[in-house]
Amino acid sequence: MHLSKRLFALGTTTAILISACGGTAATPSPSAAASSAAPSAAASSAAPSAAASSAAPSAAASSAAPSASAVQAPNLKIGVVTDIGTLNDKGYNEYTFKGATDGAMAIGAAAPQSIVPKDASEYAADIKQFVDQKYDIIVTVGFNLTNDTVAAAKANPKIHFVGVDQSPVCVDPQGNPDTTFACKGDAKTLLPNYTSLYFAEDQAGYLAGIVAAYASKNKSIGAIGGTTLCAPCVRYIQGYDMGAKSVTPDIKVTAAYVTNDFSAAAFNDPAGGKAFATTFISTNKPDVLFQVAGKTGNGILEAACQKGIYGIGVDVDQYVSLGAATDPTYGCIITSAEKHVESATSQAIQEIAAGTLSAGDVLFNANNDGIGVSDFHDKASMFGPEVTQALNTALAGMKSGALKTCPATGCGDAKTPLP
Amino acid sequence: MSAPAPAPRARGGVSRARVWSLVAVPLAVIVGSAVLGAAVILLSEPLIPGRQFDPLLWLTAYEAMIQGAIGDPQEWAALDFHSLVSTLVNTAPLVFGGLAVGFGFKAGLFNIGAQGQFLVGALGAVIVGVWLHDAPAPLAIAGATIAGMAFGAAWGFVPGFLKAFAGAHEVVSTIMMNYVAIQLLAALVSGPLKVPRSPQAITFDVGNAAFPVIPFLQPNGHLGILLALIAAVGVWWVLYRTTWGFEVRATGASPDASRYAGMRPRLITVATMTFSGMLAGLAGVCVLLGVTKSMTSSFGTTVGFDSIAVALLARSNPLAIVPAALLFGGMRAGAGLMQIQAEIPAELVDVIQAVILLALVTSPVIRRLLHADTRGSHGTETAASPAAEAAR
Repeated sequence: MHLSKRLFALGTTTAILISACGGTAATPSPSAAASSAAPSAAASSAAPSAAASSAAPSAAASSAAPSASAVQAPNLKIGVVTDIGTLNDKGYNEYTFKGATDGAMAIGAAAPQSIVPKDASEYAADIKQFVDQKYDIIVTVGFNLTNDTVAAAKANPKIHFVGVDQSPVCVDPQGNPDTTFACKGDAKTLLPNYTSLYFAEDQAGYLAGIVAAYASKNKSIGAIGGTTLCAPCVRYIQGYDMGAKSVTPDIKVTAAYVTNDFSAAAFNDPAGGKAFATTFISTNKPDVLFQVAGKTGNGILEAACQKGIYGIGVDVDQYVSLGAATDPTYGCIITSAEKHVESATSQAIQEIAAGTLSAGDVLFNANNDGIGVSDFHDKASMFGPEVTQALNTALAGMKSGALKTCPATGCGDAKTPLP
Repeated sequence: MSAPAPAPRARGGVSRARVWSLVAVPLAVIVGSAVLGAAVILLSEPLIPGRQFDPLLWLTAYEAMIQGAIGDPQEWAALDFHSLVSTLVNTAPLVFGGLAVGFGFKAGLFNIGAQGQFLVGALGAVIVGVWLHDAPAPLAIAGATIAGMAFGAAWGFVPGFLKAFAGAHEVVSTIMMNYVAIQLLAALVSGPLKVPRSPQAITFDVGNAAFPVIPFLQPNGHLGILLALIAAVGVWWVLYRTTWGFEVRATGASPDASRYAGMRPRLITVATMTFSGMLAGLAGVCVLLGVTKSMTSSFGTTVGFDSIAVALLARSNPLAIVPAALLFGGMRAGAGLMQIQAEIPAELVDVIQAVILLALVTSPVIRRLLHADTRGSHGTETAASPAAEAAR
């Protein structure tokens, strides 16, 4: 009996260890190993390397430096509630918090505090912590916090709430979060203290498409999105298509999506992404491949590099965040389509201090440096001055509103065929 | 089983030595873990670039955690008990989960699948809750709750059945069922349960099926807290006052002896796992109907895993599970304020929990240290694991 008890104890301990590991693997949280040094360089992308001149648009990404022009509001207390995971996730959590830090510095306020919820049932309680501590600005990260943020905004009209990627804001006529998505209420007037920041992904995709068209030799480029349900992913790819065709009208652009749902395959499956991309490349023979699929996309980039074609990253400068300079796995990245979550958050905070931030959905695009395309890094010699010229022309067109980067109907809808 | 149980213990009664061992070991473990947590804070502080070393940071952290969990006198004076209520809200699912795991331990089964049963329990509650969102509240609540219990029970039945009739070890099968539950939830929330117009994966609200707030537990103390207390007493009653409970404990102590005594260990195994799954399912119901009221694809908590620690800390005693869950619930409730005031990540709570767990798994060593002088009076203190210990 003693022996069997010992065995049971051993089994118990092992099982606890297994379950602990399993628990970690099951959550969508990224590895804790994420060091913050690399991504910070990525997002503020100020790196004035020799190549910087050839990718002028990216230089604009450096905003957020404490500027003398920002209205000073040293008494504002800023809190950030992230989505589950960790603060240094090389994703939204990290860049939003960095943006909040930059914004706080610019207005002379104390550094922001953050709460990382342990699970989804904690969102509301964590927002309430900041409310109870009399914070003035509460930033929440990601769609999953939308309802709790809207409810908190309604209950605390004196506190400013900023949601990252919670658009379209949808409320009922009383200003409560509308869980049926009928969206009968006008969030702008019902919740003047709530702003959702969202991005013109199609413009970033358009710029990436220009780069892809110049890089392509066989007039065939590709793009892979995580899921057809992710409207921002679709917008990236629609812009990419139009951008490439603005350079080479007869270029062949093929697009595919890893899956049609929000399962792990869409954004959290690098191995699956690699397999998918390998097949995609052999079938369609593109020589440039744009990924819009989160961590699944890292596998897509890996496949592209392995197959000897060029890769284009997404959201942040992935050449930097994936360490492509030293890691040949990702050495084929020529640029990334960027969405400036960091500078957008910083701007929002500065505008709250100045009293100029509008309520409801606030779009970040070329006009307010919300999007861009990354530095070419070691691929700078591939691109002549005509590329920079084309990018600048496109940016100017976006700013003036003359250049359309998304189909007039069906923008963000995967069912709309690429023109 | 070599340990001769004193007569009162068999009926859940208490002797002084029993109380001592029930209280002293967990207390020593908790205090020790807090000290180790403080050491982790002190040691990791210098690793953060640009941060000034504060030798009392651990004190600030624990202060904030406690304040977040119970509030402060100023709030109490204003009759504002929201921090305490928040602790209770965090505690309720842990009570259900702890009961689920503890009940399994009593029968000698290690239900590590509480997490999966928790998830499908919540899934059952949201499916029926959304369906009945317009129905009269009592009907909607009962329907959603029963659905969650049934889903959890089914998720516990499968590994119980496999264990009893195919010899598949429940630790392996329940872990695998956890993954099935995670994928099932993701598929349903992004597919058939998704609000059609929503740009992202989220279900409708459960409407009338939501647990009502108990009037004296404002602002958010819901019905689930009451149910958790009732469940703790109920499970204690089942274990120590019913024939089935006796059979469960007897099977846990020695399947061979219980078979010899005319019991049927296989049926007991199936029934225990099903009952355990139902309790874990209730934990899911409690979070879904009491807190989130709808489900996003990020739904999925650590309740199932924390429950194992709760059950071990309480040594599977249904009544001791309540204070054990209260401790863990309080730490969770206090984690938010700790992050704000001490700028210490919530992972510290995980560290403390992990140390508690580790210490409990090795508790025979600790007990031997504590009991070095009184060993003789305890008979053979040789339980090799808290699970085996709890199964007595």
